[in-house]
Formats: sequence, structure tokens, C-alpha cells
Amino acid sequence: MLENFGYLGVFLIAALLFALTMIMLPPLLRRFGIVPKKPNPVKSSTYECGMDTVGKSWVQFNFRYYFYALIFVIFDIQVVFLYPWAVSLGQLGLFGLVEMAVFFLILIVGFVYAWKKGVLEWK
Amino acid sequence: MNLYLLAPEISLCGLAIVVILLDLVLKRKGILAVVSVAGLIVPGAFTLALWGREETTFAGMLAIDQFSLFFNLFFLVMAALVILSSVDYVSKFRAFQGEYYALVLLSAAGMMLMASTRELISIYVALELVAISLYALTGFLKDPKSSEAGMKYLLLGAVASAVLLYGMAMVFGLTGTTHLEEIAQAIPGGGLLANPALLLGIVLLVAGFGFKIATVPFQMWVPDVYEGAPTPITAYLSVASKAAGFAVILRVFYEALGAVSLDWGIIFAILAAITMTLGNVVAIAQTNIKRMLAYSTIAQAGYLMMGLAAVSALGSSALLFFLGAYALTNLGAFIAIIAISNKIDSDLIGDYSGMARRAPLLALALAFCLISLIGIPPTAGFMAKIYIFNAAVQYDLTWLVIIAVVNTAISAYYYLRVVKVMYLEAPPSEEAVPSSASLRAALSFCCLGVLLLGVYPWALLRITQAAVDIFFP
Amino acid sequence: MPEVALAIFLLPIFSFVVISLIIRPFLNKRPQLSWYVTIASIGASLILSLWMLVEVIKAPGHVLPMPDYQWLVIGDTSIHLGVMADSLAAVMLIVVTVVSLVVQIYSRGYMHGDPGYCRYFAFMSLFTGSMLGLVLADNLLFLFVFWELVGLCSYLLIGFWFHRPEAARAATKAFIVTRIGDFGFLAAILFLYAKTGTFDIGELQHLALVGAIGGTALTWAAIGIFSGAVGKSAQFPLHTWLPDAMEGPTPVSALIHAATMVAAGVFLVARLFPMIASSYEAIMTVAIIGGFTAIFAATMGMVMNDFKRILAYSTISQLGYMMLGLGVVGVGVARGAVALEVGLALGVAVGIFHLFNHAFFKALLFFGAGSASHATGTFDIREMGGLRKAMPWTFATFLIGSLSIVGIWPLAGFWGKEQILSQAWHYAPILFYLAMITVFMTAFYMFRLLFLAFGGEYRGGAHVSLRESPAVMIVPMVLLAILSVVSGWLPISEFLGGESHSFFGALASPMAWASLLLAALGILLAYAIYSKKWISAESMRRRFAPLYTIVSRKYWFDELYENVFVVRILVDGIFALFHWFDDHIVDGMVNGIAGGTIAAGREIRRLQTGQLQAYGLAIFIGILAIIAFFMIFG
Repeated sequence: MLENFGYLGVFLIAALLFALTMIMLPPLLRRFGIVPKKPNPVKSSTYECGMDTVGKSWVQFNFRYYFYALIFVIFDIQVVFLYPWAVSLGQLGLFGLVEMAVFFLILIVGFVYAWKKGVLEWK
Repeated sequence: MNLYLLAPEISLCGLAIVVILLDLVLKRKGILAVVSVAGLIVPGAFTLALWGREETTFAGMLAIDQFSLFFNLFFLVMAALVILSSVDYVSKFRAFQGEYYALVLLSAAGMMLMASTRELISIYVALELVAISLYALTGFLKDPKSSEAGMKYLLLGAVASAVLLYGMAMVFGLTGTTHLEEIAQAIPGGGLLANPALLLGIVLLVAGFGFKIATVPFQMWVPDVYEGAPTPITAYLSVASKAAGFAVILRVFYEALGAVSLDWGIIFAILAAITMTLGNVVAIAQTNIKRMLAYSTIAQAGYLMMGLAAVSALGSSALLFFLGAYALTNLGAFIAIIAISNKIDSDLIGDYSGMARRAPLLALALAFCLISLIGIPPTAGFMAKIYIFNAAVQYDLTWLVIIAVVNTAISAYYYLRVVKVMYLEAPPSEEAVPSSASLRAALSFCCLGVLLLGVYPWALLRITQAAVDIFFP
Repeated sequence: MPEVALAIFLLPIFSFVVISLIIRPFLNKRPQLSWYVTIASIGASLILSLWMLVEVIKAPGHVLPMPDYQWLVIGDTSIHLGVMADSLAAVMLIVVTVVSLVVQIYSRGYMHGDPGYCRYFAFMSLFTGSMLGLVLADNLLFLFVFWELVGLCSYLLIGFWFHRPEAARAATKAFIVTRIGDFGFLAAILFLYAKTGTFDIGELQHLALVGAIGGTALTWAAIGIFSGAVGKSAQFPLHTWLPDAMEGPTPVSALIHAATMVAAGVFLVARLFPMIASSYEAIMTVAIIGGFTAIFAATMGMVMNDFKRILAYSTISQLGYMMLGLGVVGVGVARGAVALEVGLALGVAVGIFHLFNHAFFKALLFFGAGSASHATGTFDIREMGGLRKAMPWTFATFLIGSLSIVGIWPLAGFWGKEQILSQAWHYAPILFYLAMITVFMTAFYMFRLLFLAFGGEYRGGAHVSLRESPAVMIVPMVLLAILSVVSGWLPISEFLGGESHSFFGALASPMAWASLLLAALGILLAYAIYSKKWISAESMRRRFAPLYTIVSRKYWFDELYENVFVVRILVDGIFALFHWFDDHIVDGMVNGIAGGTIAAGREIRRLQTGQLQAYGLAIFIGILAIIAFFMIFG
């Protein structure tokens, strides 16, 4: 029993170490002069490849973003399940096919529901 | 993997989907309630067809036995009654009528799963299915009170879920399995004090499930949520959700933790005493009838826990019988309140004055249910108390029975106060209080059931005794 | 299929449920439905009762084996409930269902247009169902439940027009007075249970017969049970409620007087006869109370002016006869003058045979009263008269009923009364003479009523046009009139284990002639005073002024109970004492505790702040507290 926790512990330590290393590495590299220090405005912006935020981030977002996110999750899940299913369809046989059809049906009901309720319209 | 064993739950979820789809295409929303109630016949029929079978499926995660089938029927009947009593209420909504019924059905499916799963993770998933449906239903009205209730329920429910998961993790860590019967084999001997981890696990489980059944000190959410939620949902919370909690406690504690029953028995005994006393004492001070009944359900949970404390076939069958009697009684009381408040638009006890003149049948039914809640013959409540007190005495919990009897006397005060207000005080107006046919049908069913169980308890007791046999092979 | 027996009493109860839960809330616009449901259920009960009668006749020893139902299991104690299908039950079932069915048919006309139509038939169904359940019960617990239900229904029905203060008062009076008797009954049941551990009637009787319970204990138990019967059957000294019970609708009176409420008392004594007869003191009490009540009530019946009141006193008197019949045979058994087995059956046969006949003619007489008042709008016989011409059917049937109750050969009343008289002659001569005088009085008051109401000229206001009642009322009366003639010819007495009688052979006994002669004298006297007026009623009244006053004031029993018992002793004495005790001692304690509880409630309520954080905190404090508890007390 406890050895199960042991694996978990090793995993935990490894994760911590990795994160710490990633944080500590850049300052260390610079400290020992391995990388040069040449700052410029683009380099020190928050997102090196993206846009600067306009105004504060503490604003109200349109609720429809969340709806879109939820709909996206529906398809996301679908794909997550579809890949492994497609790979092993040969072994699963007819039962697998029917089961996935039922799964599809349930997701589609959710989608139809959202559609009917007008979630997909941006007004 | 025998899907047929899962047919009641599957068909119930299917029904919920059908209701949602119908809601999208139908203009006349009144049909939705009819479809929901009539559709319950299908899972009901599957349950009856499975009656008497004892099998497990999904690698032992799901068990079909007398116990789970008893609760299947129980939750189906509760869902039907709640839907019937919601018809008037829901017809006032502009939108989301289909969602309302579908959520009730889905939560019922979750409750059925709670009673039939034998594996911790499945139990947790079933519990969340119930809880999330109920969070949404609680906040359904969108007025400040209802929203507040929904939000409070959601946040505290999440805390309780976390606590429950910690408990499950402890048990899993100690035993290396989530299957109840394997846990039972792996439980280390030597009682709780020798195993602090097990003690912590059990206490966390008690807290997590205790939140569901509203035992002190995990009951704080009850009055606020009950008051704010739509009244039919309050009724549903107070009977079905609570019964599901008891079902899962019986399943987990008897099947997995039977080896340390002496220890958790005493936890439940003490919590029972505190819960019933606190519920009854605070109920006296209430002026809002929904809040009063909220505290009354806390008190009733205390009586119910006596059945857990008396660890025996007698105790657990008495608990199931009490659940049946209490469910009919409490639903009856709530339905009468729904009917009355639909008209007078108030939940204050003072506004019920002279109700016997304005709505003689409703007042009579309410009075009858309140009398059953006190436990006066010839009602189901009386028989239920007799059985559960007897079970406690047989298990040498005489001190608890004495506390319970004193509590019963206290409770008579606030229940009878409502009866007094309805029958002896003058009505503010002579205007009659009408009620819809579906409400009256549901109310008649409840009152008849209460009377039947009060006169011929053996009808249900026979089933409950068979249901708990699985715990005492 | 013995389970069918359950349907006999469950059907009317089911009808009650249907009417009160379905018809009244949902179909109140069509109240007629409730009548159909009632008639159908009671009709079905009647058919099942007939079926059961046939089965019981065929069964060996006239007892049908019946299943037992487990009702309650508390730990090791298990209480069984079941039905008892013997000859006594079979006969009573017939009486109750026939009379009730006829009453329901009659009610359709009588209650037509009443706003409480549904309520009326709901109560009537429950009333009938409870009585049937009482008759079938095989254990005291079950019997007592139905006994109380019968009492409750009679309360509801007597006070049916509850907006009239007299009706409400009469209903309360009936309820309270019978409750006094029930208290003794309940005490006896609990006492017997404590003593023997069973409620089963068969077992209790067996225990009494073999002497397992006996002596003073049995006497007190038997007297306790009999006190219940005294209350229900309106025997002296708890007779005062029945005459007042007239305030209910007349068909209710017919049902109460003939088949349900008051018959329950006599039935109870018959059902527990072996037990009561095992105690000489108890059975002697039954005989004396019965004999005394018979003559006592008859004296009051002679001077009343209210149609239904006269009939009420006649009922009390006839019930006294039945108790007398049961009692005197029991006295014979207790003295050992008659063989045990024979005597036990004989006693039941004598009492119940008269009850059987009485049910039909008494219901008929009440229907006559209802019909007469339907036409005249009053129950005061001084304002009636001359109804013979206007209402020939009512008159003819009422005459048959009167002759039957007076006991004229060969009508039904004759046969039962004859048996009681001859048994009394054998075992209790003094009571026999009282009963003979009662025969004379019965004839006198019945025919006084008949001559005043139906003879002579109409004395009421001119505005009433006298008309015969509608067919729905007349048909039941004719039906009952036929039964009032022939019911005595049926071999009920033999069936119950009593003596047989031959149609003409009965006339061979000198006692029959003596009683017929007395009855004829009574009729003649009534004829002389009230029809031909050879003797002035006024001068009679003046000559016997003191006596008249005593009797017409009903021996001041009402005043005695109201003013002395209730006001002086109870209200001023015991209640005042209780009140003081209550106010100062009990209330002091209760208020202290209740005040404390309420205050605690208010305080704890403050914990319910509405703050989510506090609620979450409570969960964790709870968890810690439980763990701490284990760590400390473990």
C-alpha cells in the first residue's frame, strides 16, 4: 500500500525539482556570465509574441465567451475520445461503434440544445 | 457487464434528455410535466422487473439488490410527487421549464446510483450528479434569495465534497482499494484509536455525508437554502437528497466499515442526540414556516440517525421505514404549503391564520402531516418512531431514546402551533384558497400513504427488512 | 377465498376515501356520484355478507377458518390481526349491510339538495365500514379501533348540521357520554393484555373458561367491558345522549338506532359473552342494568311529545331487553342451571335474535318519522294528526312497525321478545315481571304516538299541504315493513345455537298469551285516551301530576349530570383543584422549561448568521470536535 504513495512521492519531488530548476536556471546562467545582458523594450514586455493589454485586466468580459468555451469543450472531449477509439476500433467491433454513436448522440443533444437556445448567435 | 441491470438509471437519463428536447420544440409547456411523470413509469417498470435479483456488474462497482431496488422505487416516487407539486410553480417561469424537470430527473438518477454503487469513486460521481443538479435547481428562481441560496449551497457543497474526497483518499490510502468489499477485508483491526488514519478517514466521511443528511454541525446551510429555494425543491432536498445520503451511508459504513461499527455507531449516536435537540429547539423560535420545517427536517435527521447508531438489522430496517414514512409526511406538508403559498404569497406562520376556513382540505392535510411529524397515531410517523426507538432500546441506547422522547415533546409545541393558528384563529379574509388538480393528487397520495403506513406498517416494513438483509448475510 | 371477508368492511371504507379524496375535491359539481359510490360499495358488502353467511352455514361448527395478518412486530412481540367469521358475525353483517343499504337509498330523497351531500355519504360509508370492521374483528385492539371510529362517525353525523347549536351540543354530548363508558372498556382491554399478553378474543375467552383468569380480576375486566357497552348502547346510567342525538338527519338516527352505533354495545357483550358470563357478578350486572333500563326508558317514552324522542326511548328500552336476554341466560350459566356449551350459545342467540328483528322495525319506524316530518315540517306530534289519510303508505308501514315492536304475533318483534321473557322467567323472576310491565308500556307509548300523529284531524298550521313522500323514501319503507313481518320467521335463533320455535306452537305457551294480553291492554288504553278520548289525557296528567313531572323531566338526569356532576363536582371541585395545581405547579414547571427552551432557541438562532465563512468554519470545527472526542474518550 504505502509503496503506492512512494511512487507518488517520487513523482511529486521530481515535479518540484523540475519547476524549481526552470525558475532558477535563467538567473544562474546570467550570474555566471554564460548569457549576456542586453535588454530592449520588446524583450522585456510581458508577452514577447503578442499584444500588450489595453487598460486593466479587471474588466467584465462578454458572457458569450464562456458559452463559446463550453461548446468548444464539447468538441474537444469528442476528439479526445475519438482518437483512441479510432485506433482500436478493430478490436472493439460493433459494440464499440454503437457505444460511440450513443456518446455522439448525447453530445449532439447538448450541441442542439445550445444552438436552439441561441448561444451561437453573437448579438 | 450487464447493461440491463442499469436499465432504470439509463432510461431515467434518457427521459431527462427527451424532456429537454421536447422543451426545444414544444410551444405548450404543460405537456412537459405530463411526459416527465408518465415517463417515470419506464424506470419504475424496469425496477420492478429487476425485483428480487441480486447481481453486481461493472467489475463490482454497481450492485443490484433489494436495497438498491428499494431506493430506486423510493426516488422514483419522490421525483414523481415533486414534479406533480411543481406544475403550478413552474408554469410561472417564462423560460427553462424543461430544464427544471430534466434536472429533477437527472438528480433522481444520481440518487439511484448513489444507492447502488459499491465503489468510492462511483459514489462520488453519483453524489456530484445529484449535487450539481440540485445547486442549479436551488438557484432557479433568480430572485436575490434564491440566488443567494444557490450560491451558498454550491460553495458549501464544494467544501463538503472536498472533505468527502479527503476521507475517501484516507480510506484508499489505508486499504489500497476503492471497492467497498475489498476495503472491508483490508481494514486493519484494533479499533480507531490504534489507526489514526482510519479515524481521520471515517470522521471526514461522516462530515462529507453528514452535509447531505444535514446533521449538526454540518447543517448550517439548511435553513438558508431551504428558505431561498423554490418550495418544491425544498421538499425534494428535504426528503430525497437526505434519503440518498442515508442510503450511501448505510452502504459504505455497513459494507466497508462494518469492522469498526462500534466506533462509528457512537459517533452517530452522539450526533443524533445533538442534531435532534438543536433542530427542535431552534425550530421553536421560527416565524417562517419554510424555515421552521427546515429545522424540523434537521430534527428528523436526528431521529433517523438513531437507526444508524443502533447498528443492527432492526436499526437499519427501522431507518428505511422511517425514511419512507418521513418522506411521505414531509412531502405532504410541503405540498400543502406550496398550495397555500401559491395563493397567499407568504410563508409566515401568522398568515396561515384561519386557513381551516379558507381551505379546509389543505388545512386538514397539513395538520395531518404535522401530526405525523410529531408522531401521534394513527399516522406513519408514530409507527416509524416506535420502530426506531425500539431498535435503539434493543441496542442499549436507552439514553438516546430518552433524549428523543423529550425532543418529541418539544417538537409537538411548534408543530401544533401551526395547527392552532390554522384552526383557532380568525382568517384575515374569507377568500377561498384554490389548488390545482396535480397538487391535490400528490397531496392525496401522501396523506393516504401516511395513513396506510400508520394503520398497516407491515406493508412497508416487510420490504425494508428484506432490503437490509444484504448487510447481514 | 377467505380474504374476501376483508373486502366486506374495506369496501365502504374505500368508498369513504374515494368520496372524500376524489369526488369532493375534484367532482364537487356532481355530488350524485358520491351516492352511487356509497350504494355500490355497501351493496357489494351486502352480497359478500350473504356469501359469507352461506359459507358459515356450510362450515362445520358454523365457524369459518380465517387467515391472520401480522400487523406489528416490535422486537419479539408480534400482534396479529384477523377476522372472525362465525355465526354471530355473519348475522350481524347481514343486519348492518341490509339496514345501511336501505338507509342510503332513503337518504337520497331525504338529503336531496343539502350542501353537505358528499360529506354526508362519506361519513355514512365510514360509519358502515367501521361497524362492519367492529363486527369482524377477532381481537380487542382491532375491535376497539373500530369501536372508536363508530363513535367518531356518530359524533360527526349527529353534528352533521353543525351550524345549529343544538346539533353541535348533542354531538358533543354523545361523544363525551359514550367516552365515559369507553374509558372503562379501554382500561379493561389494557388490563387483560397486561394479565394475559394477548388481545385475541378467542384466546381470552378460552382463558376465561378454563379459569386462567378469574375471580375479582375477571369481574372487573368484564364490568369494564360492559361499561363500554353501556355507553354505546345507551343503557342506564349513560342513556342521556341518545334522545338528544335526534339532532342529526333522520336517516342517521335510523342507522344509529337500528344497526350501527347502539347495536355495537349489545354485540360487544355477545362477542365476549363467554368471558362476561364466567363472572356471576358481572353478568348479574348486565341483566339488572338491562332489565332496569328497559322499564326506565319506557316510562319516559310514555310522556314525550317529540316523534323521534319517543322512538329514542323505545330504542333504549329495547336495547335493555337485549341486555336482559343476554344477562339472564348468563346468570343461568353462572349459576350452573344450564350446561355451559348450550347456555353460551343460547345467550348470544336470545340477545342477537332480538337485535336482528329490532334493526328492521326500528329503522322502519324512523323512516316513518322522517316521512311524517318531511310532510309536516315538524317532529312535534301535538302539531301532527290526521296523517293517515294524507300519507297512507307511511301510515301502513308505520302501523306494521309499531305492531312489531309491541310484539304482536306473528310479527318479527314477537319472537325475540318471547325468548327473552321466557329466559327471564327461568332465571330471574323479578326482572321478568319488570319486563312484562314494559310490554304494556311499550304498547301504550307506541300507540299513543300512532294515534296522535296519524289519527284524528290535522292540528298543524294550515299552510302545509300534506303529501305522501317520494317513492325513493317509500320503497325502502315498504321493504323494511316486509322484513319487519318476516324477519322473525327466519331460523336465526337456531343458527346462533338457540332454541327453535314453531310458528303456531309459540301460541301454546301461557306466557305468550299473557304478554299479548298486556300489549293489547296498552293499545286499548292508548286508544281510549288518545283516539276516542273516553279518558281525558289532561285529567290523567293532573291526577298523576308529581309522577308526570318526574317522568317528563326525564328523572332530572340531564340536570343531575350537568349541574351536579359537571358544574359542582367537576368544575367547582375537581377541575378547580386541577386548575390550581396546573396553574401553580405544572405551569410553573412547564413555563420554566418551555421558557428556557424558547430562550435557548432564540440564542442558538443567532449562530445562524448567514455568513458563508461561519458555515464553512462550523464544518471544520465539527470534524475537529469529533476527532478530539475520540482522542479524549476513545
